[in-house]
Amino acid sequence: MPGLDEFDNRRDPDKRESMWLQLARYSQLAVIFPAATVVGLLIGVGLDRWLHTTWLYLAGLIVGIAAGFVELIRSVVKNAD
Amino acid sequence: MPEQLWVTAILNRLFAAPVTALLRAIHMEPRHPQAPIPNTFAMEVLVFLFLLALFLMLRSRLSVERPGALQHIFEGAQGFIHQQSQEIIGHHSEGYTPFLATLGFFILFCNLIGLIPGFESPTALPIVPLGCALCAFFYYHVQGFKHSGVAYLKHFAGPMPILAPLMIPIEIVSHLARALSLTIRLFANMFAGDMVTWVFFSLVPIGIPIIFLGLHIGVSFLQTYIFILLTTVYLAGAVGEEH
Repeated sequence: MPGLDEFDNRRDPDKRESMWLQLARYSQLAVIFPAATVVGLLIGVGLDRWLHTTWLYLAGLIVGIAAGFVELIRSVVKNAD
Repeated sequence: MPEQLWVTAILNRLFAAPVTALLRAIHMEPRHPQAPIPNTFAMEVLVFLFLLALFLMLRSRLSVERPGALQHIFEGAQGFIHQQSQEIIGHHSEGYTPFLATLGFFILFCNLIGLIPGFESPTALPIVPLGCALCAFFYYHVQGFKHSGVAYLKHFAGPMPILAPLMIPIEIVSHLARALSLTIRLFANMFAGDMVTWVFFSLVPIGIPIIFLGLHIGVSFLQTYIFILLTTVYLAGAVGEEH
Protein backbone atom coordinates (compact mmCIF):
# COMPACT_ATOMS: atom_id res chain seq x y z
CA MET A 1 0.00 0.00 0.00
CA PRO A 2 1.48 3.39 -0.88
CA GLY A 3 2.37 5.65 2.00
CA LEU A 4 0.96 9.14 2.32
CA ASP A 5 4.17 10.73 1.03
CA GLU A 6 4.23 8.46 -1.97
CA PHE A 7 0.62 9.28 -2.73
CA ASP A 8 1.38 12.98 -2.45
CA ASN A 9 4.41 12.72 -4.70
CA ARG A 10 2.31 11.36 -7.52
CA ARG A 11 0.77 14.77 -7.91
CA ASP A 12 2.38 17.70 -9.58
CA PRO A 13 4.22 19.42 -6.71
CA ASP A 14 3.17 22.87 -7.99
CA LYS A 15 -0.47 21.92 -7.82
CA ARG A 16 -0.34 20.32 -4.38
CA GLU A 17 -2.62 22.23 -2.06
CA SER A 18 -1.69 23.27 1.43
CA MET A 19 -3.34 21.58 4.39
CA TRP A 20 -5.32 24.72 5.22
CA LEU A 21 -6.63 25.01 1.69
CA GLN A 22 -7.81 21.41 1.82
CA LEU A 23 -9.34 21.91 5.26
CA ALA A 24 -11.30 24.89 4.00
CA ARG A 25 -12.46 23.08 0.90
CA TYR A 26 -13.56 19.96 2.74
CA SER A 27 -15.29 21.88 5.53
CA GLN A 28 -17.48 23.23 2.76
CA LEU A 29 -18.84 19.76 2.00
CA ALA A 30 -20.57 19.39 5.37
CA VAL A 31 -22.54 22.60 4.99
CA ILE A 32 -23.31 22.83 1.29
CA PHE A 33 -25.67 19.83 1.15
CA PRO A 34 -28.11 20.89 3.90
CA ALA A 35 -27.82 24.51 2.74
CA ALA A 36 -28.89 23.59 -0.79
CA THR A 37 -31.79 21.51 0.55
CA VAL A 38 -33.00 24.36 2.78
CA VAL A 39 -32.67 26.94 -0.03
CA GLY A 40 -34.64 24.68 -2.39
CA LEU A 41 -37.37 24.18 0.20
CA LEU A 42 -37.55 27.92 0.99
CA ILE A 43 -37.84 28.82 -2.71
CA GLY A 44 -40.58 26.18 -3.10
CA VAL A 45 -42.52 27.47 -0.08
CA GLY A 46 -42.13 31.04 -1.33
CA LEU A 47 -43.45 30.10 -4.77
CA ASP A 48 -46.35 28.20 -3.16
CA ARG A 49 -47.38 31.30 -1.23
CA TRP A 50 -46.95 33.57 -4.23
CA LEU A 51 -48.79 31.37 -6.75
CA HIS A 52 -51.30 29.86 -4.27
CA THR A 53 -50.27 26.29 -5.09
CA THR A 54 -49.69 23.41 -2.70
CA TRP A 55 -47.08 21.23 -4.38
CA LEU A 56 -44.22 23.52 -5.38
CA TYR A 57 -42.55 23.11 -1.97
CA LEU A 58 -42.00 19.44 -2.82
CA ALA A 59 -40.57 20.31 -6.24
CA GLY A 60 -38.33 22.92 -4.55
CA LEU A 61 -37.18 20.36 -2.00
CA ILE A 62 -36.28 17.84 -4.72
CA VAL A 63 -34.44 20.50 -6.77
CA GLY A 64 -32.63 21.55 -3.57
CA ILE A 65 -31.50 17.99 -2.83
CA ALA A 66 -30.39 17.58 -6.45
CA ALA A 67 -28.48 20.87 -6.26
CA GLY A 68 -26.82 19.68 -3.05
CA PHE A 69 -25.65 16.51 -4.76
CA VAL A 70 -24.47 18.42 -7.84
CA GLU A 71 -22.43 20.84 -5.74
CA LEU A 72 -21.11 18.00 -3.55
CA ILE A 73 -20.03 15.84 -6.50
CA ARG A 74 -18.59 18.86 -8.31
CA SER A 75 -16.38 19.86 -5.39
CA VAL A 76 -15.26 16.27 -4.73
CA VAL A 77 -14.38 15.76 -8.41
CA LYS A 78 -12.52 19.09 -8.44
CA ASN A 79 -10.59 18.09 -5.32
CA ALA A 80 -9.71 14.70 -6.79
CA ASP A 81 -8.10 16.28 -9.89
CA MET B 1 -35.86 49.35 25.80
CA PRO B 2 -33.49 46.55 24.68
CA GLU B 3 -30.23 45.80 26.46
CA GLN B 4 -27.61 48.12 25.02
CA LEU B 5 -23.83 48.18 25.03
CA TRP B 6 -22.31 51.55 25.86
CA VAL B 7 -21.37 52.23 22.23
CA THR B 8 -24.94 51.48 21.15
CA ALA B 9 -26.30 53.75 23.87
CA ILE B 10 -24.09 56.63 22.67
CA LEU B 11 -25.09 56.07 19.03
CA ASN B 12 -28.77 55.86 19.96
CA ARG B 13 -28.55 59.05 22.03
CA LEU B 14 -26.97 60.86 19.07
CA PHE B 15 -28.79 59.36 16.09
CA ALA B 16 -32.04 57.77 17.34
CA ALA B 17 -34.31 60.48 15.88
CA PRO B 18 -32.84 60.62 12.33
CA VAL B 19 -32.53 56.79 12.13
CA THR B 20 -36.15 56.30 13.22
CA ALA B 21 -37.25 58.96 10.71
CA LEU B 22 -35.24 57.26 7.96
CA LEU B 23 -36.73 53.84 8.77
CA ARG B 24 -40.24 55.28 8.78
CA ALA B 25 -39.55 56.99 5.45
CA ILE B 26 -38.96 53.55 3.92
CA HIS B 27 -42.07 52.19 5.71
CA MET B 28 -40.29 50.20 8.39
CA GLU B 29 -41.41 50.65 11.96
CA PRO B 30 -38.53 50.11 14.42
CA ARG B 31 -39.40 47.94 17.41
CA HIS B 32 -37.96 50.52 19.79
CA PRO B 33 -38.29 54.02 18.30
CA GLN B 34 -36.16 55.44 21.13
CA ALA B 35 -33.32 53.00 20.36
CA PRO B 36 -33.55 51.88 16.71
CA ILE B 37 -29.82 51.06 16.42
CA PRO B 38 -29.08 47.48 17.56
CA ASN B 39 -25.81 46.35 19.19
CA THR B 40 -24.80 44.51 16.03
CA PHE B 41 -24.92 47.62 13.90
CA ALA B 42 -23.11 49.70 16.52
CA MET B 43 -20.31 47.11 16.60
CA GLU B 44 -20.11 47.11 12.81
CA VAL B 45 -19.82 50.90 12.77
CA LEU B 46 -17.10 50.66 15.41
CA VAL B 47 -15.15 48.09 13.35
CA PHE B 48 -15.60 50.25 10.26
CA LEU B 49 -14.31 53.38 12.03
CA PHE B 50 -11.43 51.42 13.55
CA LEU B 51 -10.38 50.03 10.17
CA LEU B 52 -10.69 53.47 8.57
CA ALA B 53 -8.51 55.04 11.28
CA LEU B 54 -6.03 52.15 11.08
CA PHE B 55 -5.63 52.39 7.33
CA LEU B 56 -5.41 56.20 7.35
CA MET B 57 -2.66 55.92 9.95
CA LEU B 58 -0.97 53.20 7.91
CA ARG B 59 -1.23 55.30 4.75
CA SER B 60 0.43 58.29 6.39
CA ARG B 61 3.32 56.13 7.66
CA LEU B 62 4.07 54.16 4.50
CA SER B 63 7.76 54.04 3.87
CA VAL B 64 9.80 52.15 1.31
CA GLU B 65 13.14 52.52 3.11
CA ARG B 66 12.04 51.84 6.66
CA PRO B 67 8.71 50.01 6.83
CA GLY B 68 7.27 49.88 10.34
CA ALA B 69 5.87 46.82 12.13
CA LEU B 70 2.30 47.71 11.21
CA GLN B 71 3.24 48.07 7.54
CA HIS B 72 4.98 44.69 7.67
CA ILE B 73 1.88 43.01 9.15
CA PHE B 74 -0.52 44.44 6.59
CA GLU B 75 1.82 43.94 3.65
CA GLY B 76 2.17 40.32 4.77
CA ALA B 77 -1.61 39.86 5.00
CA GLN B 78 -2.19 41.53 1.65
CA GLY B 79 0.60 39.48 0.07
CA PHE B 80 -0.90 36.29 1.49
CA ILE B 81 -4.34 37.01 0.02
CA HIS B 82 -2.77 38.10 -3.27
CA GLN B 83 -0.70 34.93 -3.54
CA GLN B 84 -3.64 32.73 -2.67
CA SER B 85 -5.98 34.35 -5.20
CA GLN B 86 -3.26 34.07 -7.83
CA GLU B 87 -2.97 30.37 -7.03
CA ILE B 88 -6.72 29.78 -7.30
CA ILE B 89 -7.93 32.29 -9.91
CA GLY B 90 -4.85 32.64 -12.10
CA HIS B 91 -2.63 35.40 -13.39
CA HIS B 92 -5.40 38.01 -13.77
CA SER B 93 -6.31 37.95 -10.08
CA GLU B 94 -4.78 41.35 -9.09
CA GLY B 95 -8.06 43.23 -9.50
CA TYR B 96 -9.85 41.02 -7.00
CA THR B 97 -7.34 41.27 -4.15
CA PRO B 98 -8.60 44.62 -2.74
CA PHE B 99 -12.15 43.29 -2.33
CA LEU B 100 -10.98 40.04 -0.77
CA ALA B 101 -8.58 41.81 1.59
CA THR B 102 -11.21 44.36 2.66
CA LEU B 103 -13.82 41.68 3.29
CA GLY B 104 -11.24 39.61 5.17
CA PHE B 105 -10.15 42.45 7.47
CA PHE B 106 -13.75 43.43 8.17
CA ILE B 107 -14.77 39.88 9.09
CA LEU B 108 -11.59 39.30 11.11
CA PHE B 109 -12.06 42.44 13.22
CA CYS B 110 -15.80 41.73 13.60
CA ASN B 111 -14.85 38.30 14.95
CA LEU B 112 -12.11 39.57 17.24
CA ILE B 113 -13.93 42.56 18.72
CA GLY B 114 -16.03 40.18 20.83
CA LEU B 115 -12.93 39.31 22.87
CA ILE B 116 -12.78 42.80 24.36
CA PRO B 117 -14.97 43.11 27.48
CA GLY B 118 -17.85 45.49 26.85
CA PHE B 119 -18.11 44.60 23.17
CA GLU B 120 -19.69 41.69 21.33
CA SER B 121 -18.98 40.02 17.98
CA PRO B 122 -21.42 41.25 15.34
CA THR B 123 -20.72 38.04 13.41
CA ALA B 124 -22.32 36.01 16.24
CA LEU B 125 -25.72 37.11 14.87
CA PRO B 126 -26.78 35.74 11.46
CA ILE B 127 -27.54 39.12 9.89
CA VAL B 128 -23.91 40.30 9.63
CA PRO B 129 -22.48 37.09 8.09
CA LEU B 130 -25.49 37.16 5.73
CA GLY B 131 -24.56 40.69 4.66
CA CYS B 132 -20.94 39.65 4.06
CA ALA B 133 -22.04 36.52 2.17
CA LEU B 134 -24.40 38.56 -0.03
CA CYS B 135 -21.57 41.01 -0.76
CA ALA B 136 -19.40 38.09 -1.86
CA PHE B 137 -22.32 36.55 -3.81
CA PHE B 138 -23.10 39.72 -5.78
CA TYR B 139 -19.43 40.53 -6.24
CA TYR B 140 -18.54 37.24 -7.90
CA HIS B 141 -21.58 37.34 -10.16
CA VAL B 142 -20.86 40.95 -11.21
CA GLN B 143 -17.23 40.02 -11.90
CA GLY B 144 -18.43 37.00 -13.87
CA PHE B 145 -20.60 39.25 -16.06
CA LYS B 146 -17.73 41.75 -16.41
CA HIS B 147 -15.37 39.00 -17.45
CA SER B 148 -17.47 37.07 -19.96
CA GLY B 149 -20.45 39.36 -20.61
CA VAL B 150 -23.80 37.71 -21.33
CA ALA B 151 -21.93 34.45 -22.01
CA TYR B 152 -21.61 34.16 -18.22
CA LEU B 153 -25.24 32.97 -18.19
CA LYS B 154 -24.06 29.85 -20.02
CA HIS B 155 -22.51 28.72 -16.72
CA PHE B 156 -26.02 28.16 -15.44
CA ALA B 157 -27.18 26.07 -18.38
CA GLY B 158 -24.95 23.06 -17.75
CA PRO B 159 -22.79 21.19 -20.23
CA MET B 160 -25.56 20.12 -22.65
CA PRO B 161 -28.30 22.42 -24.07
CA ILE B 162 -30.88 19.66 -23.72
CA LEU B 163 -30.30 19.53 -19.97
CA ALA B 164 -30.66 23.31 -19.55
CA PRO B 165 -34.27 23.35 -18.21
CA LEU B 166 -33.17 20.92 -15.50
CA MET B 167 -29.81 22.52 -14.77
CA ILE B 168 -30.94 26.16 -14.50
CA PRO B 169 -33.06 25.71 -11.34
CA ILE B 170 -30.42 23.41 -9.86
CA GLU B 171 -27.67 25.95 -10.55
CA ILE B 172 -29.72 28.82 -9.11
CA VAL B 173 -30.36 26.84 -5.94
CA SER B 174 -26.74 25.75 -5.64
CA HIS B 175 -25.49 29.34 -6.02
CA LEU B 176 -27.94 30.55 -3.37
CA ALA B 177 -26.87 27.63 -1.19
CA ARG B 178 -23.30 28.93 -1.37
CA ALA B 179 -24.41 32.24 0.15
CA LEU B 180 -26.36 30.38 2.85
CA SER B 181 -23.47 28.06 3.64
CA LEU B 182 -21.04 30.98 3.96
CA THR B 183 -23.50 32.68 6.33
CA ILE B 184 -24.20 29.67 8.48
CA ARG B 185 -20.59 28.58 8.84
CA LEU B 186 -19.38 31.96 10.03
CA PHE B 187 -22.39 32.64 12.24
CA ALA B 188 -22.48 29.16 13.81
CA ASN B 189 -18.76 29.14 14.59
CA MET B 190 -18.73 32.59 16.18
CA PHE B 191 -21.97 31.92 18.09
CA ALA B 192 -20.65 28.59 19.35
CA GLY B 193 -17.33 30.21 20.34
CA ASP B 194 -19.18 32.87 22.37
CA MET B 195 -21.47 30.29 23.95
CA VAL B 196 -18.65 27.93 24.96
CA THR B 197 -16.72 30.79 26.56
CA TRP B 198 -19.86 31.98 28.32
CA VAL B 199 -20.82 28.51 29.64
CA PHE B 200 -17.35 27.83 31.01
CA PHE B 201 -17.20 31.32 32.45
CA SER B 202 -20.40 30.63 34.39
CA LEU B 203 -19.03 27.24 35.59
CA VAL B 204 -15.45 28.22 36.45
CA PRO B 205 -14.95 31.99 36.35
CA ILE B 206 -11.15 31.91 36.76
CA GLY B 207 -8.53 30.46 34.45
CA ILE B 208 -10.50 28.03 32.28
CA PRO B 209 -12.32 30.65 30.13
CA ILE B 210 -8.90 31.92 28.97
CA ILE B 211 -8.37 28.64 27.12
CA PHE B 212 -11.66 29.14 25.33
CA LEU B 213 -10.86 32.76 24.56
CA GLY B 214 -7.66 31.46 22.94
CA LEU B 215 -9.76 28.98 20.99
CA HIS B 216 -12.04 31.84 19.96
CA ILE B 217 -9.06 33.75 18.55
CA GLY B 218 -8.04 30.67 16.55
CA VAL B 219 -11.59 30.16 15.27
CA SER B 220 -11.83 33.85 14.33
CA PHE B 221 -8.76 33.62 12.11
CA LEU B 222 -9.72 30.24 10.67
CA GLN B 223 -13.27 31.29 9.80
CA THR B 224 -12.07 34.50 8.18
CA TYR B 225 -9.62 32.46 6.13
CA ILE B 226 -12.30 29.96 5.08
CA PHE B 227 -14.73 32.73 4.15
CA ILE B 228 -12.13 34.47 1.98
CA LEU B 229 -10.90 31.23 0.49
CA LEU B 230 -14.38 30.10 -0.53
CA THR B 231 -15.15 33.54 -1.97
CA THR B 232 -11.93 33.19 -4.00
CA VAL B 233 -12.96 29.70 -5.15
CA TYR B 234 -16.38 31.01 -6.24
CA LEU B 235 -14.72 33.95 -7.99
CA ALA B 236 -12.45 31.52 -9.79
CA GLY B 237 -15.54 29.59 -10.89
CA ALA B 238 -17.10 32.78 -12.26
CA VAL B 239 -14.06 34.33 -13.97
CA GLY B 240 -11.82 31.28 -14.43
CA GLU B 241 -10.39 30.44 -17.84
CA GLU B 242 -11.44 26.79 -17.84
CA HIS B 243 -15.14 27.58 -18.25
